[in-house]
Amino acid sequence: MRLASRTRPRRGVPERDAALVRELVAAVGAPNVRTDDAQRALLRRDASVFDGGDAGPVCFPRTAEEVQAVVRAARRHGRAVVPRGAGTGLAGGAIPLGAPVVVSLARMTSIGEVDRDARAVWVEPGVVNLDLTRHLRPLGFHFAPDPSSQQVCTIGGNVANNSGGPHCLAYGVTNAHVLAMDVVLPDGEMARLGGLDPEPSGLDLRGAFVGGEGTLGIAVRIAVRVTPNPPAVRTLLASFSQVRDAANTVSAVIASGIVPAAMEVMDQRITRAVENYVGAGYPLDAAAVLLAEVDGLPDGTAHDADAIARIAREQGATEVRLAADDRERALLWKGRKTAFGAIAQIAPDYYLHDTVVPRSRLADVLEQVYAIADRHGLMVMNVFHAGDGNLHPLLLFDAREPGMLDRVHAAGADIIEASLAAGGVLSGEHGIGVEKQAYMDRMFTPDDLDHQNRLRRAFDPECAANPGKVLPTGHSCADIQQLSSAARGLWV
Amino acid sequence: MDLGIDPERLNACVQCGLCLTACPTYRVSADETMSPRGRIALMREVQDRGAPLTREVVRAFDTCVQCRACEPACPSGVQYGSLIEATKATLASRRGGWIRALAFAPLSRPRLLRAGSVLLGIAQRAHLVPRRLGLSARIPLWRAPLRASGDDVWMFTGCVMDAWQRDVHLATQRVLEAAGFGVRPTGAGAPCCGALHVHAGLHDRAVALARRTMDGLPGDAPIVVNSAGCGAALKEYGHLLGTDEARAFSARVVDVQEFLARHVDRLPTVEPLALRVAVQDPCHLRHVQRAHEPVRTVLRPFVRECVELDDEGLCCGAGGAYSVLEPGMAGQIRERKLSSIGRARPDVVASANPGCSMHLAAAGVAVRHPMEIVDEALRLSARAGR
Amino acid sequence: MGLTGALAERRDLVAFADEVGADGPVAVEGSRTRWSVGGEPIPGVRLVRAPSGVSAYLPEEMVVCVGAGTTVAELSSVLASSGQRCALPARGGTVGGAIAVGEQHLDVLGRGTLRASVLEVRYVSCDGRLVRGGGPTVKNVTGYDLPRLMTGALGTLGLLAEVILRTNPVPAASTWLRADGADPFAAFDALLHPSAVLWDGASTWVHLEGHPGDVAAQAAVLSRIAATTEVDGPPPLPPHRWSLEPSAIRGLTGRYVASVGTGLVLRDEPQPLRPPDAASLGVAARMKREFDPTGRLNPGRDPARR
Repeated sequence: MRLASRTRPRRGVPERDAALVRELVAAVGAPNVRTDDAQRALLRRDASVFDGGDAGPVCFPRTAEEVQAVVRAARRHGRAVVPRGAGTGLAGGAIPLGAPVVVSLARMTSIGEVDRDARAVWVEPGVVNLDLTRHLRPLGFHFAPDPSSQQVCTIGGNVANNSGGPHCLAYGVTNAHVLAMDVVLPDGEMARLGGLDPEPSGLDLRGAFVGGEGTLGIAVRIAVRVTPNPPAVRTLLASFSQVRDAANTVSAVIASGIVPAAMEVMDQRITRAVENYVGAGYPLDAAAVLLAEVDGLPDGTAHDADAIARIAREQGATEVRLAADDRERALLWKGRKTAFGAIAQIAPDYYLHDTVVPRSRLADVLEQVYAIADRHGLMVMNVFHAGDGNLHPLLLFDAREPGMLDRVHAAGADIIEASLAAGGVLSGEHGIGVEKQAYMDRMFTPDDLDHQNRLRRAFDPECAANPGKVLPTGHSCADIQQLSSAARGLWV
Repeated sequence: MDLGIDPERLNACVQCGLCLTACPTYRVSADETMSPRGRIALMREVQDRGAPLTREVVRAFDTCVQCRACEPACPSGVQYGSLIEATKATLASRRGGWIRALAFAPLSRPRLLRAGSVLLGIAQRAHLVPRRLGLSARIPLWRAPLRASGDDVWMFTGCVMDAWQRDVHLATQRVLEAAGFGVRPTGAGAPCCGALHVHAGLHDRAVALARRTMDGLPGDAPIVVNSAGCGAALKEYGHLLGTDEARAFSARVVDVQEFLARHVDRLPTVEPLALRVAVQDPCHLRHVQRAHEPVRTVLRPFVRECVELDDEGLCCGAGGAYSVLEPGMAGQIRERKLSSIGRARPDVVASANPGCSMHLAAAGVAVRHPMEIVDEALRLSARAGR
Repeated sequence: MGLTGALAERRDLVAFADEVGADGPVAVEGSRTRWSVGGEPIPGVRLVRAPSGVSAYLPEEMVVCVGAGTTVAELSSVLASSGQRCALPARGGTVGGAIAVGEQHLDVLGRGTLRASVLEVRYVSCDGRLVRGGGPTVKNVTGYDLPRLMTGALGTLGLLAEVILRTNPVPAASTWLRADGADPFAAFDALLHPSAVLWDGASTWVHLEGHPGDVAAQAAVLSRIAATTEVDGPPPLPPHRWSLEPSAIRGLTGRYVASVGTGLVLRDEPQPLRPPDAASLGVAARMKREFDPTGRLNPGRDPARR
């Protein structure tokens, strides 16, 4: 995959698209089809570092039926379709490969009435995650998955990536919060997957679809579970003189039978960057800080908070502090959730990794991560969802330095190997996209991958949905035909 | 082509997209060319890769309200305001900024502005003003005079606001005096801060106005401003001129609510007005000056209830001259604000910026400046006590 | 790799794969507790049994790796020894059977859904190969989600050999209360995260679990809605499972026990078929062709007839 570069040749709007564009205009109306260079160039990228090449025509359907019409028009012309929400993905899942029709779901933002009996609400895919939670708040509910991009990312994108977030430790990732979906399949048919009932008939295609990274179809209506807002919340901040002590605290908390709502760890470098950015009151002298939150009913949260504080002290915490009020709590979380951006103030480029290891191996793998960065002469910072072993090492660099990208690439590969060797997995929440395709065979056998490919093919026999993603070269839909611009090679 | 943007500043954006939903034009269009990330990417396309300034690219830049809500949303600290100002300046010089320069000329010429305003007021009464100009409240044909009461603070009076909303200045002055400050209105000595010129890309003119304003307001006294847009511009003189003198001047500038919040205990305790007030945060108060909290601190003792809008401070679409230049987009943005106001069910909306209040009033919203509300509470109480 | 080393080195799994082989119709036999769900295997089909036993249990990771032929009772007692439990239903039978059927625990509100708890599946494909899907960690989005696909597939896409499940701590306190004359929907609304709210049209049974103080406080909340009595457990449950949208419970008549908030209903007669729509049946048919083109795995069973 190609890294976004500084220069590129320009091409005009392809003439061959004229008939396709006419049909797209018929499908969604002229104001909702864009073919200009500006739009198509913009959508070459998402929030990852990968450059997919120019998009084909870009459509902005407003209804499920319009999505269906767009997909059908693209099919008639043998063109692939790539869905796009807010474009905040970090694995390149939304970049266009082979000039496909890009379907932006961002104009589909309606939220239905909350079904209180089912604790569910139907939403359109363009609804922003945090908008949904804000909408639900006065009704006493929220949408539990809370990725760090929640103020921007869409529910459709959450479905495609099976998104997580700090609070998924207790509440589960997106898959546990999607009850049903109406999906436009790659052949243009509309299917209802799952249901509001507890044991829907047929295969669990809903479960298979979530996390499909847009390669299985486009979700156009999604019934998500709404979670009651907990009456009691306690947030603790524990400081440690060694990263290992923080990691061990996390294991010890879980071993003691407590499942907090969230447990996040930040190392010293990132804590300092965050503190400089938001001034949340994080300690600057600690080697690592643990942010733990428990929620629920008052007695249990008080008991669990006390227990976590005690365990942290037993594991060598130098200070344990309880957030005094909602304001302090919000500030601590703001610091955690903006951690990645705060980094950008230190180095011009960063590469954020995402692997998962068993909790008990956190301390070991972290030490390896620091050693790997040292070996490659890179600066690394660690901020991670410690509660579920989800590491997010951040490599900081300046891409303009010669040879730097090779070093970043090599360090990333070593981090992945270390995580897998510890019994972990390639990705906890960012997905595979184009970023980790080449590593899939490090985790899975050819037979395993063959079966994943079969799952995909059942949804998309003709490779019409977001081709070139997830599965490595050699599987169907992994290689893009007639793709002049996708020079393979360097990536970070 | 060179847009005149500092390459380091342009490079600071990592395309994370966290700014998207903070942007009012992205919110109403769902079009990434009309988002901060998209506009920055297009700046790069043009400046770094030589992409042509097509109609769509120019449109993307023109539609930016310059509310700068993307700046607090940006974790990487991208100085979007300076990127778009440079871009707009380059575009303005290319297409002959003289039309706009001419249109903005009266702003710094009080008598010309006054004469024009009276003509506009008469035209308004004769139903000759197009609706798209968004004028709501009648432009006054007669204004009560402003008189100095001391030299503790300057009260910045500006251009349009002084011509059209002098009542707000009078109310502001009375509130400052009630807190025990002697007030000197700036008047003709500093006729215009140049904010609209900066927005429109009229860089040279803006610099000239900044110099004139600084010359007109010597000394150390705080410069108290009751227009969020002017306050933001005055606070950015240091950046605009890049001199120590300008930075020292900007340090003296303070929003009136920001100023009074520090001295709230000096205001008399009075019976609060029986009003449910929704606070509308002008972008240049919230996102640029980041001084929107003091509005609440100052208002709360004087009203029954102070409520928040649920749109996280999204722009109302006024944007200085934006509502006149981009009426379609401005109207769509305002629709979002109106539905948020509808959900808050206030008796009145408090807005600390003349542009916002005119834009909202044109849609039938009852809007008042926070200083007018405080002033009324003080005056009612004084009358009752008599 | 993973929790228990490479599958190819696991003799018990390889033996199971060899037994399944690549030819002829084959069905897995567990405890036959849900034998006719979705149709019975065709007569004369060769029956095989999945490996049993807990091959790895890491309480501090909240994961257990268990043979599909293990009984739920055996697994539960292993987990209980470390103060943990899982989302598998308590109705008996084998782990593999419960997952293949995709049945929820009666306390699904408290324990979480079965499908969310299956982290990794190891199964034998139609051509006798060992295939692994998912991963051993509680969080994982690496590739396509085979564990979800296999859950509830009635063994028609692959025969489960071993699974890794997420476990959870057993709450410190647990109590069942019966409230007569209470509006069960009001009770469900008033309580935070009850483990189960059951209703038979007259009485409401509520299962509260958690910290003792919280359980007591929730019980007090319930008693403000209606008079409550502490009971040993749920009422006797009719044999047939119905899956309804939770709001449909409001209109039920006859004899039933309904789970408020989930839509699970237990009745004396089986639920009529409720086939998925044509488009998803089309995907399901292609899935079957991809995973088992000759239809040799559990012939006679069909997830859409469940």
